[in-house]
Amino acid sequence: MITNKIGVISCSGEECLGGTISRLAVRKMMEELKPGMVSTLCLPLFIAGDGGEREFAEKYPTIAVDGCSKCCAKRAIEKYSNKVAGSVDVAEIIGEVKALEKPLSTRNVTDEHMEYVNKTAAKTCEIFDDILIKSI
Amino acid sequence: MNESICVLPCNGLDKCAGDLSRRVALELTQSEEVELICPVLLNQNKTRYEKALAAGDLTVIDGCNTRCASKLAGDLDLAIKEKVNVSDVAKALDIKLGVEIRDDQDTQAVVREVLEKINSSAAEQTESEFIEPDSIEYNTFSHGKFIFKVPQSNYFFNENDCWVTISGNMARVGVSDYVQQNLSDILYVDPPEIGDKFEQFDDLGSIESSKAVFEIISPVSGTVVAVNVSLNDAPEQVNESPYEKGWLVEVHLSDFEEDQDLLHDCPAYFEFLQRKVAEIDV
Repeated sequence: MITNKIGVISCSGEECLGGTISRLAVRKMMEELKPGMVSTLCLPLFIAGDGGEREFAEKYPTIAVDGCSKCCAKRAIEKYSNKVAGSVDVAEIIGEVKALEKPLSTRNVTDEHMEYVNKTAAKTCEIFDDILIKSI
Repeated sequence: MNESICVLPCNGLDKCAGDLSRRVALELTQSEEVELICPVLLNQNKTRYEKALAAGDLTVIDGCNTRCASKLAGDLDLAIKEKVNVSDVAKALDIKLGVEIRDDQDTQAVVREVLEKINSSAAEQTESEFIEPDSIEYNTFSHGKFIFKVPQSNYFFNENDCWVTISGNMARVGVSDYVQQNLSDILYVDPPEIGDKFEQFDDLGSIESSKAVFEIISPVSGTVVAVNVSLNDAPEQVNESPYEKGWLVEVHLSDFEEDQDLLHDCPAYFEFLQRKVAEIDV
């Protein structure tokens, strides 16, 4: 069984609420849902080209979690490394209008937002599990 | 703070410091005059922020010393007006941030301190007492495609390639032509605070290009009385005029006679630099 060899990259998330949700969903996956099983890659570091993030995404399957349909994370991975192994667009889960609301500080996140986080994290975990099954 | 600013945080997700850069940026955007710039969208579509960047000064918030946000600004040729590094602020507060993202007293203290740094205006500096010479003559030598220049007199250098030139009890400190050529286009000067006291060979701020950060090692001991504020808008002056318009810090000397023992005068530095350049084969 592979462990820690599937990457997840969240979009940077400063443009909209979808970005806030994508960041929180990736953290939830890493800390609660798949602890020790997933490598979270830092997108700004990925773009800067340091830290081995690009090499990781070239070698190992990587999932992009984007806040809106601009799909910054997915595009960056495909531009600098490889095709993504899967992608999640928060706007498809919570609706475009909601996703494009203003970004939030984590301390202002409500139960409703946490529900969006849970749904996004669950969708990302589904993709993660599929990749894992195929790799066995 | 200026009326209009653009804030570019690194927004890193894999370390606490990156998350704090985002928290600071979001706090700042409570003000209508502040435009938040998403580093990834900026990289993907610079035109999205062209108007805002043309109208406002750019403040960069790096989470850690990888300096992703600074590098991005450098890669896109954006002039940085102000820069803060969250990890440096945390270190100064003796707070360890680590990897785990958290919202506790420590991280709140770091956010407050970073915000204060960004919001506080630079300390008032008095009019310069330094008397500039009418003209400076230079000696030059070439190595490959590079031509290096060193003043003929009145400058003293340490072996870290930082210079000092004296006017009575006042002095100006800067970096040599060799340093600016090595760094290439200077994007940002991080000066010390006015009033800071320092010893010879202490750290006296830094200058930064897209290639590297260069720590300024002071050739003398003294007190900072002024910094070259024109470099805020035109850091390229360090490249264009490293010994004159590109001076970095003005200081009140404490004991130049003693400091001088450990410095090269111009002819000695000229020889030292020739040897150094030949050895490292620039």
